[in-house]
Amino acid sequence: MRRRSWLKLGLGAAVVLAVGGGAAALVTPGLRDGKLAAESKPMMAAIGAAILDGVLPQAPAERATALSGLLARTDAVIATLPPHAQAELSQLLALLGTAAGRRALVGLDAPWPDAAVQDVQAALQDMRVSSLLLRRQAYQGLHDLVGGAYFSDAGTWQVLGYPGPVAV
Amino acid sequence: MPVPDPIREGLARGWRVSGGPHGQPPRRIACDIAIVGSGAGAGVTADILSRAGLQVLLVEEGPLRSSSDFRQLESEAYPALYQESAARKTRDKAITILQGRCVGGSTTVNWTSSFRTPPATLTHWQQHFGLAGFGNDDLAPYFEQAERRLSIGPWLAAPNENNDLLRRGAAKLGIAAAAIPRNVKGCWNLGSCGMGCPTNAKQSMLVTTIPAALDRGASLLVETRAERFEFANGRVRALLCRGTGPDGAEIRIEARHYVLAGGAINSPALLLRSQAPDPHGRLGRRTFLHPVVISASVMPQQVEGWKGAPQSIYSDHFLETQPVDGPIGYKLEAPPLHPLIFASTTTGMGQQQAQALRDFPFTHALLALLRDGFHPQSEGGTVHLRSDGSPELDYPLNDFVLDGCRRALLSMAELQFAAGARHVLPVHELAQPYTSWAAARQALHAMPMQPLLTKVVSAHVMGGCGLGGTASLGVTRPDGIHWQVDNLSVHDGSLFPTSIGANPQLSVYGIVNRLAQGLAKSLSGRDISLA
Repeated sequence: MRRRSWLKLGLGAAVVLAVGGGAAALVTPGLRDGKLAAESKPMMAAIGAAILDGVLPQAPAERATALSGLLARTDAVIATLPPHAQAELSQLLALLGTAAGRRALVGLDAPWPDAAVQDVQAALQDMRVSSLLLRRQAYQGLHDLVGGAYFSDAGTWQVLGYPGPVAV
Repeated sequence: MPVPDPIREGLARGWRVSGGPHGQPPRRIACDIAIVGSGAGAGVTADILSRAGLQVLLVEEGPLRSSSDFRQLESEAYPALYQESAARKTRDKAITILQGRCVGGSTTVNWTSSFRTPPATLTHWQQHFGLAGFGNDDLAPYFEQAERRLSIGPWLAAPNENNDLLRRGAAKLGIAAAAIPRNVKGCWNLGSCGMGCPTNAKQSMLVTTIPAALDRGASLLVETRAERFEFANGRVRALLCRGTGPDGAEIRIEARHYVLAGGAINSPALLLRSQAPDPHGRLGRRTFLHPVVISASVMPQQVEGWKGAPQSIYSDHFLETQPVDGPIGYKLEAPPLHPLIFASTTTGMGQQQAQALRDFPFTHALLALLRDGFHPQSEGGTVHLRSDGSPELDYPLNDFVLDGCRRALLSMAELQFAAGARHVLPVHELAQPYTSWAAARQALHAMPMQPLLTKVVSAHVMGGCGLGGTASLGVTRPDGIHWQVDNLSVHDGSLFPTSIGANPQLSVYGIVNRLAQGLAKSLSGRDISLA
């Protein structure tokens, strides 16, 4: 049953085989109780830092605060997703959290916490324009999640020059 | 002077509302008419049938929210008011679908554009789907009533800059553009229609037909999902529902007649879960989306696309200058721009995306709605059920549709340069900002159009329970009743045999107005008019 829903993610057999850690991924879900699992947080922070590079504050302390805000709001967004979408996201993050999955699907050698911003960007760019539908799906899922979560806080709107809604 | 809240006032007057925070509904309910949904089709039906003296019950999966709750914040509106938090996607994830899920349905969150069904669309239905009585003159009185009931008319205020750029660019190119009628009364021009109207100016079902039905004693179950129909001897015997909360109990509703109006995708899905008869394999098929492609541009002047009526100008040039059943045509409009939807739709990452985000106040966006369903190579999508019973639309973006995406991106880029754009960024993963029409044209001609490279969205789901003059042509008869189940009607956008070719809310109001009047006559013997 788990295996069947796994394949529904659209994983080609070749990718499953390439990812020797597939079985391990199944027992380490990317989400726990509808929130980012501890193992997923450094990965989401690295992905957020890559996508939002140029938007996030430059100073290290402010940047760290902005990224922890992003993770908190990512949890808030995930909580609003229907069960099937949470399950798919959990599987995707589980897969990206394994070394084999990170290499096969993202094309990133360094572990997430150690990867440089430009290396993560290069890997995401490869996913973005990959000929493999699954890699493009994963990229867009991550891109939309990061953008939607980050800008859901009014404190981030300054960079957009958006004044917020008109009071009624 | 606070804005009055007609919903809270109605609740205080004793409206029969249950579910979610409004208390547990009874486990068994009997009524004359059980309506699934509370959007455009459900609202009009509830209004007419309650006026005929019938006891009406509406079942809505989403919450009852109203003007006091509408704080013009995307982070609150999308999870509360939209299907799947405004992130409903087709099976291959290539199309994101905006669809309402709240009392009022998509009418609570739409952008107020109100077009009658185009004559070319109706002619096509008459020729190809055996819908003889669906001529322009046949339907005109029903549209006219809907327009009166919902204050649909010309919008006399000046368009916002985002829309005026469409008008000016079209004029430069010699392309016809016109003003969009809107369903508003005393509109404040805030621009927040997509998050629920905070001033009750939008004449959605939430503030018109549903309060009218509730005032006549109709009942409303909210945060309650219609799971399936129970069939016996070829008729619906009961509708089985369940509260969406963690301890949702099953509710059994028995009615004389059932009206399915949960919107395209959800209505076919309910029939699929119920294993409804489908002898001709039509159920859930021919589901259309008006696939939408987007072109962003940066202007020298401030555009502030979040301000003012979101849609007030359109161009049908690329629909009217070619045959309805030729290469796919498209309608041009402007979308409202707000932070969340802008950030998740703006392509790319890092410095380039950061620059595009910083240009937000100067950003002008256009969208093209592709008119799907009129050509043999445009069969739309198919609704399937996941293992948990939730619906999923499989909509293949084939070469026929993708060819339209390319032409539409070209048309929009040309128009934006004509309107004075500094640069144009087609919303496509391989696009760059182009500083001239020549450069954009060259790039777009060479750019591969593929799912998940070409960004495609949709706000109009149509079809899946299509009307047909014979049982082999559709799921529903021309009177809206299911071909195989005579105590079941479908009254929503899933009726449409093709896409509409225009924002569909008034098509649902007008066509359902006629179907509901027919149903009222056959069930109560009374002649009822919507206005």
